[in-house]
Amino acid sequence: MLANALLSLVERVVNHVLQLDNSLKDRLAAIADKQLLIEIRDWQQRILCVYSNEQIHLYSTEELSFDCMISADINTLLTLKNPAMLTQLIRQDKLDLQGDLNIAQGFSNAFAELDIDWPEHFSRYIGDAPAQQLWLSLQTLKTRGAQMKGKLEKTLTTLCQDELAVTIHPLELAEFKQQNRQLKSQVSQLEMRVNALLKSC
Amino acid sequence: MNENQEKTTHFGYKTVAENDKASMVADVFHSVAAKYDVMNDLMSFGIHRLWKRQTIASSGVRKGHRVLDLAGGTGDLTAKFSQLVGDTGQVVLGDINSSMLKVGREKLRNLGHVGNIEYVQMNAEALPFPDNSFDLITIAFGLRNVTDKDKALRSMYRILKPGGRLLVLEFSKPEQEILSKAYDFYSFNILPKMGQLVANDSESYQYLAESIRMHPDQETLKDMMEDAGFEQTSYQNLTGGIVALHRGFKY
Ligand SMILES: C[S@@+](CC[C@H](N)C(=O)[O-])C[C@H]1O[C@@H](n2cnc3c(N)ncnc32)[C@H](O)[C@@H]1O
Repeated sequence: MLANALLSLVERVVNHVLQLDNSLKDRLAAIADKQLLIEIRDWQQRILCVYSNEQIHLYSTEELSFDCMISADINTLLTLKNPAMLTQLIRQDKLDLQGDLNIAQGFSNAFAELDIDWPEHFSRYIGDAPAQQLWLSLQTLKTRGAQMKGKLEKTLTTLCQDELAVTIHPLELAEFKQQNRQLKSQVSQLEMRVNALLKSC
Repeated sequence: MNENQEKTTHFGYKTVAENDKASMVADVFHSVAAKYDVMNDLMSFGIHRLWKRQTIASSGVRKGHRVLDLAGGTGDLTAKFSQLVGDTGQVVLGDINSSMLKVGREKLRNLGHVGNIEYVQMNAEALPFPDNSFDLITIAFGLRNVTDKDKALRSMYRILKPGGRLLVLEFSKPEQEILSKAYDFYSFNILPKMGQLVANDSESYQYLAESIRMHPDQETLKDMMEDAGFEQTSYQNLTGGIVALHRGFKY
């Protein structure tokens, strides 16, 4: 239920952004009502994503019904922005893909361009959410957040060393690093806010 | 034995004639309908939303499905299902109580949910649908108000399609003694006072507390579902068993 409490917050933020962006709605229309199941192996979580009635629905579920399923560790999922790696990952057994790949791509293309200021949004909704459950959720968020940060850093460093050095223009690399720094600072901001909220609970 | 002795049942802690229970339950919900949503949020600290979310996450519902939200009251579940089944699906919001249905209909209309929702007054014990009509039936915080629960479960079984599932979300027995005690204190001392303050109706909320205590525990309800014909029955405790989500299939 914890996962669903968190996802309900994420869902609200995403839908808020979605309502302001008609082009995003157009892009998602192609995959309306299709079920994408994302299995995060090391978290033992399955997340169902559906775009229906102009809303994104996100549920943590045990159900195994889907039109498309991706299953991998969180590390692997976070590197998925690069589609060229897909076949390689599948061959290495790090990733499992079933069903209609277009659905996964549809979601990822649509959201790749989203620029969401998570801390800002969360703080807006947080006052709204059920108090007791939220307190628990925040604690998990805090530890997961710290883990995520570590994992993100590791993944990004590996990416920089192994992949980017040979394939990317130095200017792009600079920009990438810049984004990386922004991401880091956003994550620490979020962490600080969570800490502050926890103290005030 | 007296042949004419009236059959009795529980109304909260009181034992009442079976024929009277339905109308007494009706009075409760007529009197709380207008304040129902506010009270729900207050009484459960908003957690009822998460319990309902968990129900939807376990529903396997998808576009084109036909869903019955039984004892659906003000339609929280119906609202979500209506989005998920899309224009090729249908959701029936069923309730025995016209006041609750009316509040539900107004709320859902204001939220912009129209088109695939039908509002039908019905008694869970004798559902007015042909056999094999629904992919999913949910009954959230409704079963404990029903007089003959076994009959209601059989009726739900009958109208489910083969492969369809029933989800029962209901107050249950907390797993830990200490939580159980705290919860008892809350529901018998604080709940009725809140009911008095907000809805000016402590009796209805006294009934609520009592009916929760009289409701079958997790294993008993699971057995009842099996007796009614459901297969692969299971349950998940939510918030330490204060609430349980039961699931069963018809094959
Ligand atoms: C506590 S409310 C739950 C409403 C809604 N499902 C929710 O979770 O918010 C219980 C509902 O059950 C309805 N109810 C009671 N007995 C019933 C019966 N025999 N058949 C159908 N509905 C019934 C009441 O009218 C009331 O609206």
